[in-house]
Amino acid sequence: MYKDLLYYLIFPGFIFISVAGAFLSWFDRKITAWVQFRKGPPLLQPFYDFFKLLLVKETILPASGSRLTFLMSPVFGLTGACLSGILIMLPALGLKSGFSGDMIVIFYMLTIPSLTYMIGALAAGNPLAAVGASREMKLIISYELTFLLVIAAVILKADLAVTVQDIILAQGEKGPFVGSLSGILLFIAFVFCMQAKLGLVPFDMAEAETEITHGSFIEYSGTAYALIRLTKYMMLFILPAFLCVTLLGGFRTDGIHLLWTVLKMIGVVLLITLIRNTNPRVRIDQAMRFFFIWMNLLVIVAIVLIYFGL
Amino acid sequence: MNSIHATLEILLLLPLIAGVILFFLPEKHLKVKGLTALAVSLVTLYYASRLYFSGVADEQINLVETGFLNRFGTSYIPVSVGSYCMLNLDNLARFIGVLIAFFSVLILLYSIVYVDRNKSLRNYYSFVLLTLWASVCTAFSDSLFMFIFFWGFLGLTLYKLIRGHDEESSAAAKKTFIMIGASDGIMILGIGILWKITGHFNISELTVRTSDAIRFCAFLALLIGSFTKAGAFPFHTWVPDYAKKAPASSSAYLPASLDKLLGIYFLTRICNDIFLLSGWIRLVILILGALTIIIAVMMALIQHDYKKLLGYHAVSQVGYMVTGIGLGSVLGLVGGLFHMVNHAMYKSGLFLAAGSVERNTGMNKLEKLGGLSRQMPVTFICSLIFALSISGVPPLNGFASKWIIYQGIIDFGKGTGIANQLWIVWLSMAVIGSALTLASFIKFISGIFLGRSKTSLKQVGEVHWMMWTPMLILALICTGLGVFASRWVIPAFFEPLAGNVSFIGVWDSSFISLLIAVSIILGISVYFVFSMGRFRRDEIFIGGETNRRDLGFEPTSFYETIRNFGLLRPFYGWAEKKYFDIYDVSKNITLKISHIFSAAHNGILSNLAFWVLAGLIFMFIFLLM
Repeated sequence: MYKDLLYYLIFPGFIFISVAGAFLSWFDRKITAWVQFRKGPPLLQPFYDFFKLLLVKETILPASGSRLTFLMSPVFGLTGACLSGILIMLPALGLKSGFSGDMIVIFYMLTIPSLTYMIGALAAGNPLAAVGASREMKLIISYELTFLLVIAAVILKADLAVTVQDIILAQGEKGPFVGSLSGILLFIAFVFCMQAKLGLVPFDMAEAETEITHGSFIEYSGTAYALIRLTKYMMLFILPAFLCVTLLGGFRTDGIHLLWTVLKMIGVVLLITLIRNTNPRVRIDQAMRFFFIWMNLLVIVAIVLIYFGL
Repeated sequence: MNSIHATLEILLLLPLIAGVILFFLPEKHLKVKGLTALAVSLVTLYYASRLYFSGVADEQINLVETGFLNRFGTSYIPVSVGSYCMLNLDNLARFIGVLIAFFSVLILLYSIVYVDRNKSLRNYYSFVLLTLWASVCTAFSDSLFMFIFFWGFLGLTLYKLIRGHDEESSAAAKKTFIMIGASDGIMILGIGILWKITGHFNISELTVRTSDAIRFCAFLALLIGSFTKAGAFPFHTWVPDYAKKAPASSSAYLPASLDKLLGIYFLTRICNDIFLLSGWIRLVILILGALTIIIAVMMALIQHDYKKLLGYHAVSQVGYMVTGIGLGSVLGLVGGLFHMVNHAMYKSGLFLAAGSVERNTGMNKLEKLGGLSRQMPVTFICSLIFALSISGVPPLNGFASKWIIYQGIIDFGKGTGIANQLWIVWLSMAVIGSALTLASFIKFISGIFLGRSKTSLKQVGEVHWMMWTPMLILALICTGLGVFASRWVIPAFFEPLAGNVSFIGVWDSSFISLLIAVSIILGISVYFVFSMGRFRRDEIFIGGETNRRDLGFEPTSFYETIRNFGLLRPFYGWAEKKYFDIYDVSKNITLKISHIFSAAHNGILSNLAFWVLAGLIFMFIFLLM
């Protein structure tokens, strides 16, 4: 029980994921700076940002609107991120504990942060936030089917195993799933879903700074916004980790394999950073068409290929 | 044995007698009638739970042979009638009985304030009690003969619990009555076929293979009955219309809880007890289940009337139960039944919340509401719990049962049949249905409670405690059923109904709920530690523009993009013209045919006499042959 709480709060849970996510966020910003021929922030910049918001800045509440909902939404979002993170990391590191969840539980937990962003945005009563929330919801509807189909295809590849352990084990026997033709298609679809889930260009229309001035988060400031930033850092670690676990063969921490694990994570983050730096933002209806038609088609082709053993 | 008899006497007679007495009491003592009905339902709940928890020695009870009927001076009933008066008191029936009584208590508690004199339906309480009586009798009937009698009676009470005060509500009531009545007729046909084939009327004695066409027809007839009652595609179209026009307490009572309980109860009976299903029938049921989920939720997305939105969800959720039960495994059955209970909890709660909002504001369109969360805090918190629950957000109960259904679907994929191989289709339909449910409840919650408060709604306050107490109870149960799902609820309540389940995945609801509680406490303490005294209130920021009251982006316009999405636009257009509504389609066909015949009826006497004579001659020739 106490051990489980330590797992949850320190390693490989909350503290570990947020610190790792903060470093990944620095990496993302540094790469972005290089792409734009800038120098980029120092290594600890994400921490400065977070603690400035938490300790220094005041929290401004919307004068009308539901203040309790507005303040509690980030807390629930952070909780969802922590839980999905721990449910992925415990089996990924081979740790035994008193609780666990399967792929479907993780799938649902990963939706909670986006859900709370929407509720928080709508609680403020700001029309721009409402535009952001409505785009966020439509984006969720668009990518959720693709994301579920990717997960179902992974389950199918692992002979209908639904726990993360079994999926890693199946990859240990057959080699990482990405090494097959269907695996490559699934990897492409997963990366685009991840891009949408993280709210990065080309799918950042929910917060679109230049259009609706940060949309869903326009009213947030101070401590509440610090929690949202923390959730974002964590998601930047959790989703690439989920990709590694489901398609890239999982994590190993013994000897030289630790290096490969770190390189896998950095490689995935590098990929999404490069995508976000080389693409324009698409409109929401374009994003819907992209996922509804093209990405679903891609995953369906992958599923058919799996039935043929490819 | 005697104690069971006494219990049964109260369960089968008390609501009937009380209902009939209340029917003759004058309407001006409305509060007295309400309190009496509440007391009667409480007594029924007590005896139903006693029956459930004490168990019975003998599951099948013959009302004639055991002398139950003779005690009322009807000793002249011949023993041979006994086979038509069989009760079945197995775990499932008793469980459904408790739930029926439970919902009656909550709805009656709510109604005492909600149903007021000037707007009331006539004999509301009487019909609620008669519904309670008929539902309990339906659940306990073993003989299909008794079953169809009580089942049909429920169609009548459903009709009487909606008030036909304008053209639209009368049309909704008529549509409901015709659809339910027609499906009952089809069911009688199916029961007749079953009796002709097997010679039995009792569910416990029937085991029919669906091997040939006539048995398949019987199955289909009974399936139509259960689908219409529960509101599954394509017989669902009465539910949204009824929900839109009926008082919220009626919607919460019948289409949201009791009709679901009984419809799914009967579906369980026909799929597991009466018929042995072949793989193809499973495929048909799964297709209908998946279509129910998607079609209804797509319609819910574009609704502006929040009660109609809830009505479409009352249909969509049935798809999950049908899918779960259609799988035919223990896992699927447990998931389907658990979802049935959960759905009844949150959906009746949502209807009660909608009723509270409608009563206090007098509006039923989402775009006229907004920002009520501070004026109606209890209603808001409860609605939020129900909405998250129905959208399947962990750790609430909607997630627990959907998760079991998903497990069932993946487990089903291990089989070799064509329906098994398509497991990814069922899974993806169920999950995308859940995402779309979330989308339409974002609209519901933000449209009513969040967003900017309208100046016209400044005077609105919280409802009477007797109205929010039932909602609060339901919200607590929703949370409880979810939090304790895997440790306690499934082993204690659902394994006795379906058999022992072995999950293929893992979901430790209690411990994860504990972690959520810890995180939330930590999160709140972050606010207390770091930002106490550093809160400031300010007007919202709209790019520096003045905050005009009329400036806004209404939640009702959120999903216009989806409505105008290339592939979907024609379907929405056709749905609004009611091309998919089985009631309107058959009505149009009937009217067209009668239009042809009406050409003969032109009012000229000699023509009429000719037709009569021609008919007589035709019959004469027919008889001679």
